[in-house]
Amino acid sequence: MSTRIVEVRRNILKKNDLAAAGLRQRFRDSGMFVASVVSSPGAGKTAFLERTLAMAAAAHPVAALVGDLATECDAERLRRSGAPVRQITTGTVCHLDAEMVEQALEKWPPGGCEWLFVENVGNLVCPASYDLGEDLRVVLVSVTEGEDKPLKYPTIFNTADLAIVTKIDLAGAVDFDRAALLRNIDTVRPGLEVLEVSARSGAGFDEWMTWLAQRANALC
Amino acid sequence: MHELSIALSLVDAVCDELPRLGERVSVRRVVIRVGALSGVVPAALKFAYDVATEGSPIAGSGLDIEEVAGRVLELKGVEVVDANR
Repeated sequence: MSTRIVEVRRNILKKNDLAAAGLRQRFRDSGMFVASVVSSPGAGKTAFLERTLAMAAAAHPVAALVGDLATECDAERLRRSGAPVRQITTGTVCHLDAEMVEQALEKWPPGGCEWLFVENVGNLVCPASYDLGEDLRVVLVSVTEGEDKPLKYPTIFNTADLAIVTKIDLAGAVDFDRAALLRNIDTVRPGLEVLEVSARSGAGFDEWMTWLAQRANALC
Repeated sequence: MHELSIALSLVDAVCDELPRLGERVSVRRVVIRVGALSGVVPAALKFAYDVATEGSPIAGSGLDIEEVAGRVLELKGVEVVDANR
């Protein structure tokens, strides 16, 4: 009987990465631009997407996938925009992975969809590790959460393509320190672009739509 | 706290490699590299590993974690016991 060390050298999440690569190729082939949205629970992902879907639908056929541990609540809210929406319920899993997205996209969305939004489970930790095949990842942080969020959860900010400050209509009520949040984002991810919006008033959404359209045009 | 998901993926990854390790071989130790920016907590992963390996072909194996820089999350190698030799 003898022991030996065998070198393997493979990514532990290889299966997820392969599924994500397959999705990305499929999105390119079908001309679909895909953005995922991550944030902590209650940062306003669903309200943000409600307005986003309503605005984007004016120019493009859009659809949304939304992940939660349980319930169809968010899908029902997002369907009010008129866009096709599918809920992914993860059970106890704290993040979406590429295989869940793959399964949800079986024979869906309807043909011609140009922009797909994926709302991840509310969590600033676990989604950071899983590539979903999306073209870009947007991290939301609300003014009510505390300006130190980026310092506490650097990994998710490191994997994002854009940060969006939400609920800016509440900034005054919570003594939001805008400079501190921007400084903290820049500390963990120098140069990350930041937009500021209010889903309630609609402030900042024109800029968000313009940003998104530029990225989509560059890809598709 | 997604270390259990990561641990289950790790068990899958090791089990994928088993055929090329040969017959009558058992895995004694698994060595992985975890980056500081990977979003994975080594201590939580170690705890999850025992649960994830239970009932699998690599049950009872140990986990060695090398903490490195960056976002690496890699199965580096396995130490196997060869009953044939």
